[in-house]
Amino acid sequence: MKFIIQALATFIGCFVVQYFLPWWTLAIVSCTVGYYFHNNGFASFVAGFLGAGILWLAMAFYIDSSTQSILTAKVGKLFPVNIFVLMVLIGGLVGGFAALTGTLMRGKKMARY
Amino acid sequence: MQYPKAIISLLVTVALVYSLNRSWDFGKPIPPLGKFLDPFHGFWKNAETRNVPSEEASLPGIKAEVSVVYDSALIPHIYAKNERDLFFAQGYITARHRLWQMEFQTHAAAGRISEIIGADAIDFDRGQRRLGMVYAAQNSVTEMEKDSIAKMIAHRYSDGINAYINSLTYETMPLEYKLLNYWPEPWTPLKSGLLLKYMAKTLNIGNKDFEMTNALKLFGKETLELLYPDNEHVGDPIVDNPNGWKFKPIALDSVPLAIPKDFVQISQLEKSSPEIGSNNWAVSGGKTASGSPILCNDPHLELNLPSIWFVVHLSAPGYNAMGASLPGAPAVISGFNDSIAWGVTNAQRDLVDWFKIEFKDKTKNEYLSDGQWKPTRKVIERISAKGKPDFYDTVVYTHQGPITYDESYHGESEKNNYAFRWIAHDPSKELLAFYLLNKGKNYSDYMEALNHYTSSAQNFVFACTNGDIAMRVQGKYPVRRKNEGRFVLDGTKTSNEWKAFIPYDQNVTYKNPSRGFVSSANQYPVDDSYPYYITATSFEAYRNRRINHLLSEMNAITPHDMMKLQADNFNLKASESLPALLAMLDSTKFSAEEKAAYQKLKAWDFINDIASEGASYYEAWTWAIYPMIWDEVAASKVSLPYPTAYTTIKLLKENPTLGYFDIQATPEKETALEVAQKSFSEGVKEIEKWKLETKKEPSWAVFKDSYIQHLARLEPFSYHVIHGGNGNIVDAHSKRNGPSWRMIVSLEKSGVKAWGVYPGGQSGNPGSPYYNNMIDIWTADHYLNLHFNTSAEQIKPFSISTSTLKPEGK
Repeated sequence: MKFIIQALATFIGCFVVQYFLPWWTLAIVSCTVGYYFHNNGFASFVAGFLGAGILWLAMAFYIDSSTQSILTAKVGKLFPVNIFVLMVLIGGLVGGFAALTGTLMRGKKMARY
Repeated sequence: MQYPKAIISLLVTVALVYSLNRSWDFGKPIPPLGKFLDPFHGFWKNAETRNVPSEEASLPGIKAEVSVVYDSALIPHIYAKNERDLFFAQGYITARHRLWQMEFQTHAAAGRISEIIGADAIDFDRGQRRLGMVYAAQNSVTEMEKDSIAKMIAHRYSDGINAYINSLTYETMPLEYKLLNYWPEPWTPLKSGLLLKYMAKTLNIGNKDFEMTNALKLFGKETLELLYPDNEHVGDPIVDNPNGWKFKPIALDSVPLAIPKDFVQISQLEKSSPEIGSNNWAVSGGKTASGSPILCNDPHLELNLPSIWFVVHLSAPGYNAMGASLPGAPAVISGFNDSIAWGVTNAQRDLVDWFKIEFKDKTKNEYLSDGQWKPTRKVIERISAKGKPDFYDTVVYTHQGPITYDESYHGESEKNNYAFRWIAHDPSKELLAFYLLNKGKNYSDYMEALNHYTSSAQNFVFACTNGDIAMRVQGKYPVRRKNEGRFVLDGTKTSNEWKAFIPYDQNVTYKNPSRGFVSSANQYPVDDSYPYYITATSFEAYRNRRINHLLSEMNAITPHDMMKLQADNFNLKASESLPALLAMLDSTKFSAEEKAAYQKLKAWDFINDIASEGASYYEAWTWAIYPMIWDEVAASKVSLPYPTAYTTIKLLKENPTLGYFDIQATPEKETALEVAQKSFSEGVKEIEKWKLETKKEPSWAVFKDSYIQHLARLEPFSYHVIHGGNGNIVDAHSKRNGPSWRMIVSLEKSGVKAWGVYPGGQSGNPGSPYYNNMIDIWTADHYLNLHFNTSAEQIKPFSISTSTLKPEGK
């Protein structure tokens, strides 16, 4: 449950922040959310990966369908791999590692309890 | 013990962010992937729909509100309250749709392409610097700054572009910047100057002075005149006014032509395609259905995306012009207003000379001129190729111009130092000429406007609602003695340099000729009684004859008839050469494929339309025969010029046993007959090979496979098109070059009507439906109605969106 909420919080947090700020701020959001929820490392990574990755995918799908793939089809040909997959991987990995970092940063504190 | 893990995880995250936030070059450039693929700001944000949002912008420097109404083709109709705001808005709106192209083209002009695409372009960039492109642009800017109007236009246009650049964020940046990972730099009037010089280079740089020099030495005078005549005497000159030149021409004292002794052995820079040219004509009211003149123009240029042209309607009190503009230069270049219309074709004239320079020593500090050692001027050019240390090139200037070729650049030996003299190096203010044309009311305004036009020389067609039509072959032309400019000149003597220029009132001009029309299609400009010597790389021999033949037969002409003429695919060259070529073939030697091809050619109606197979066989044959005949030129140790198609065909028909028809690689002695037979077989073989490879039938448009290419040569942003035509045909659409803008203007007193189209779209954004929406209209030979309404209210029924540019703080 906590895992799903972390993913959702990452999704929403990134959406709000990314609307105004550059792409890499998603790392800061994921990291903060990961720190706050303090799931175990693997769960936190997956939550960050899914939160950021699904957000990017949803946003890209929305743009792609509302513009009849006018640009996706062209830019896609410039890359040797599917750009949707590449994009999810990039957003996901950055989100995931940032979330993992957040959780691990809380580690020391945990030991005190 | 979580800290080390946290630190490792943090480092991984930071490394990921860093490496995805920068570009890489693994043989192929890779954009910053995180930035580029981010759907909130990356390339996705460049995807657009047909709905154009209405925008409102408060901009510094605007005095009164400017209304920009877009019609359904995304043509902006700009309504300003004064001219200062008008040019500001033109700059802003043009940048809004074409910024990347504007900057890319001016970078190319200035020899700065390697900054964007890397070290591969260093040689090109050095060439641009060594041709003096920036030097030329600077000279014209200095001249413009002296004129209050030209200065105002250039600066206000520039301010408008900068206002747009300043409004950009990564999210709103044109796609190509995101892909190639760089930012636009501020615009300056110098960049507008560079753009015009880039056009001038395209139109002037086909010179063959080096090759002609070698040909003269190798072949001698007589053969030279046979193979490369200055005037092929075919068809009508642009202005036919025998013995009507009633002025006193400037006479130069006679001095012998000083041509350097040695052959020219350099590897030359790339030249413009001979397929670059244009058509324009105007018919008087006596020949039209409406009784009003009709003016037409279609410039033939390399077809690229974003298109070279951007259609605008500029309106302010005292100013109301519409037509094709060059993104990067203010005002309308080929267009019309309430009273007049104008259009351009290239005048072809040779405005380029090369001087062989003798330096005192390796330092190149001094050069010999009329027996004296004169000091040179050196300019150090820094070329900052992407990802490479700066490259420095020293360009030496003599009084003639920059040394383009020397031992360090394409010259191959220390003996080869050639200085470049080009008319576009001279101070000029073309912008003022276009501004005055945009505002012109009648013939005398047109003549006055052109008095400010220097280079590159153009045939300016003109028509007016009052019934006048005219043609003026305008440019700044050096007065030349016979054969001056045809060959490389001895730079140690000033006697062959440009001493005087033809006074503008002695330039070739025509007003209301009795035949009822004026026309130009890059042919020889004037009848033999014109008192000045004229030379050029080549003049076109076919399009002008077809156009004039049809125009002289036409009456009660409608704009629709003119559209048909612009799309005319009759191949005059084929009609003059094919029957003779076919008659040379020995049909007993045919293979089955050759027999079939022969039948198709026999039945062909000489029309290069989409479906024609005869056209494919004919063109394949000519592509084979030309190099076979001129194998002497290709095999020569020194570079030689190729004779024109017209001269080649003439020799084939009239002089079939000429020595040049012998194929040098074979022991036999060939004549035109054998060459025709062999090249026919080769052409048919080419087509058979093509059929096997493509599994298609060779209909002309499919075989030709025309291509409209994105400026960065990115294939997904480029298009193959199915369309007829070819070089030397009125519809001059070859594989890569063609009618880049088609315009027809009916100058009716009740209101000017106009139609236009170009193979591209108003938006430069590959993610916009308006990027390529005109291509299909153009290939179908259809036109857009150019809505020319004088107020923002009148244009409303055709509008899809309105943007408002407001003064800051309001």
